[in-house]
Amino acid sequence: MLRSARKVDVVVVGSGAAGSVVAAINAEAGREVLILEAGPKRTLTDLVSSQIHARKLKWSGAFVEEQGDLKIGHNFNSGYGTGGSALHHFAVWPRLHENDFTVHSEYGKGLDWPISYQTLRPYYDRIQDDVGVSGDALAEKWRPQGKAYPLPPLPVFAQGKVIAKGFERLGMHTAPIPMGIKSQAYKGRSACLYDGWCDAGCPIGALANPLVTYLPRAMKAGAYIQHNATVASVLHNSKGDKAIGVAYHDANGDLQTVYAKHVVLSAFAVQNARILLNSASDKHPAGLANHNDMLGRYLMTHPAQTVFGLMEQETQPHLGPTGGQLICHDYYQNKQQADDAFGSYQWLIASAAKPNDLLGIVNSRPDIYGKALDPFMRKAAKHFALMNLVGEDVARADNRVSLSAQKDSHGLPLAATTHNLLPETWSMLKRGVEQGKAVFKAAGAEEIWAGNPFGMHIMGGTVMGADSKQSVTDEFGRTHSLENLYVAGPGVFPSSGAVNPTFTIHALALRTAEQMLRDG
Amino acid sequence: MEKAVSSRRAFLQASSVGLACAVAAPTAWLSPAQAYAKRLPYTQLTDTEVETLEQLADAIVPGARKAGIAHYIDSQLAAPLDDCLLMIKYLGVPAPYKEFYQAALQSAHQLPLSEYQKPWHELSDSQLDTLTAQLASGAIDGWQGPPPGFFFFVLRADASDVVYGTQNGHETIGFPHMAHIKPVQEW
Ligand SMILES: Cc1cc2nc3c(=O)[nH]c(=O)nc-3n(C[C@H](O)[C@H](O)[C@H](O)COP(=O)(O)OP(=O)(O)OC[C@H]3O[C@@H](n4cnc5c(N)ncnc54)[C@H](O)[C@@H]3O)c2cc1C
Ligand code: SF4
Repeated sequence: MLRSARKVDVVVVGSGAAGSVVAAINAEAGREVLILEAGPKRTLTDLVSSQIHARKLKWSGAFVEEQGDLKIGHNFNSGYGTGGSALHHFAVWPRLHENDFTVHSEYGKGLDWPISYQTLRPYYDRIQDDVGVSGDALAEKWRPQGKAYPLPPLPVFAQGKVIAKGFERLGMHTAPIPMGIKSQAYKGRSACLYDGWCDAGCPIGALANPLVTYLPRAMKAGAYIQHNATVASVLHNSKGDKAIGVAYHDANGDLQTVYAKHVVLSAFAVQNARILLNSASDKHPAGLANHNDMLGRYLMTHPAQTVFGLMEQETQPHLGPTGGQLICHDYYQNKQQADDAFGSYQWLIASAAKPNDLLGIVNSRPDIYGKALDPFMRKAAKHFALMNLVGEDVARADNRVSLSAQKDSHGLPLAATTHNLLPETWSMLKRGVEQGKAVFKAAGAEEIWAGNPFGMHIMGGTVMGADSKQSVTDEFGRTHSLENLYVAGPGVFPSSGAVNPTFTIHALALRTAEQMLRDG
Repeated sequence: MEKAVSSRRAFLQASSVGLACAVAAPTAWLSPAQAYAKRLPYTQLTDTEVETLEQLADAIVPGARKAGIAHYIDSQLAAPLDDCLLMIKYLGVPAPYKEFYQAALQSAHQLPLSEYQKPWHELSDSQLDTLTAQLASGAIDGWQGPPPGFFFFVLRADASDVVYGTQNGHETIGFPHMAHIKPVQEW
């Protein structure tokens, strides 16, 4: 139990993917843990099956300004409230590849990680056993070394089978997507029902969201979560070399202080950087952990694009998880596929669709309206198919989070983000989409079209590195400037790879949390 | 496999009835379609704005008027940001969204007046098609407020929410709904 709300061992900012892991490990080690969460309390019963109601789960905190030729899509890509974005994430959980850790030294692009895949590998293995990942390790012939999955793969439905034929005809390979979704009951949690409501949040516990994974563990071990508590800044001692707590706005808008021996920022990539920038003091005039002007830099998002089709066969597009059924990494290992193109990419194949919403059938064809719309919707309800290209971004110093001149309702500067792609990344995306259309053609699609490019996931802004002059944190997420201030989450990624980040976020957060215990 | 899944679904749905009731019990909210049928008053939009909104939304997504598009948008503009369910919430537009809709609807109201000297509801089918196509293309002289093409996209998405996003909307086009927890308000 929490002895005092004003002074704790560990204050964790944000209750999402990273924060929940850090809170659980610290609480289970007997530490007093307080999680401050900006958004409201959410429970499984709030996860109503509706693409309209699902929007309640999206970011509703301070506005984030965005510019650049591929904006990060902050409000779409971020959640708010218990469980954070991870509450309604789709649980596509592939591992990064070995060469994602060495993009600078191997290709002269972006940044290297201070650790290798081999360092992270045991953490991936442990997390997948804890959480219950379903997949077929052997079928993923590109998969880096690691333990086989604890659960068999999720089934492939008609949409997946139809598209897989197209890959096969072009000599390409697909495998079941490794998913943080249960194919069988596991550790007291139910198996998936394949109804495609993941975006609205899975209320039956089949999907690994923090409400059913690490938050219950944290709470059971005595951690406490305070909702509607928006952290404004990190406080430090008079020397400026240690964090002493945080200042936050409570539900009434009053500024409160909590003191802690360890401070962990796990408020997702943009808000972590914003909190640190807004923590400027006389000792740290450019913001905390920003002695080298690296804070906020190397902001990344996966450049993504969807290929759609209407297939001759019925595809049952309502079946399966929202993240998809099959995966292809044939174009992952070689990051330099052409002189003018750079970056790995993966295909996530045969996502379950819904009729409405941004990712729904209707918005895949914004050019159809009026009398033509209903016939299209009726046909698509039976024959729709899609797959998403998820591409690699290159970490660039000028893609960044900075502070805006505009302020939020508490008078704090908003985050202003800039994100542009390199020409070679655009080229990779263009080539990939052409390949996707060829796959659909080979699969026998009657109509094929592509959506607009968009940013999927957000990473960087507080990158880790071996060199304290070039990075914000060390390999454990400890800031270089303040020894007891940690950052957890995708903000610390020095490169994006082309895989969904949340499995890696968990593995890194586990490593950070265990280092915190060693740090005393 | 499908049989096993459907019997597991039946079991889980039975056990989630409790959940649905817990969310549902105290409220007797109306869906936008019911609010429209009862002609409930609007709190955010003026009569002219409602008229323009309904005409346009129905031209873009037939059925939107009857499905309660105006009540849907009106009710969501009245909601606090945390509870707002409009898709615009994640399209990079700063709140409050009322300004977005009102500015666009004002320009939309003017559009048929300046092109044909008639309001929306007096346009012939071909005039309606012409103006809707102009809006979709985003090329409209003298338009004030959010870019017309973007407004078209947003309004089309809103109208699709009320027409296709409900359980009834899913089923009308032959798309199984398969809710875990049914929303209390239809949408
Ligand atoms: C629709 C969708 C689908 C996705 N699908 C996948 C997928 O299939 N696979 C995958 O790997 N990833 C997926 N992701 C991405 C994944 O959800 C995120 O990368 C991950 O949740 C980030 O973890 P985090 O802990 O850093 O942040 P979050 O999980 O977002 O948690 C951060 C928390 O911090 C809170 N917070 C923010 N600011 C403050 C503050 N100032 N004070 C206090 N609290 C604050 C937020 O409210 C939030 O609850 C998806 C995301 C979305 C939105
Ligand atoms: S498809 Fe599976 S994981 Fe997704 S919401 Fe349904 S039961 Fe949950």
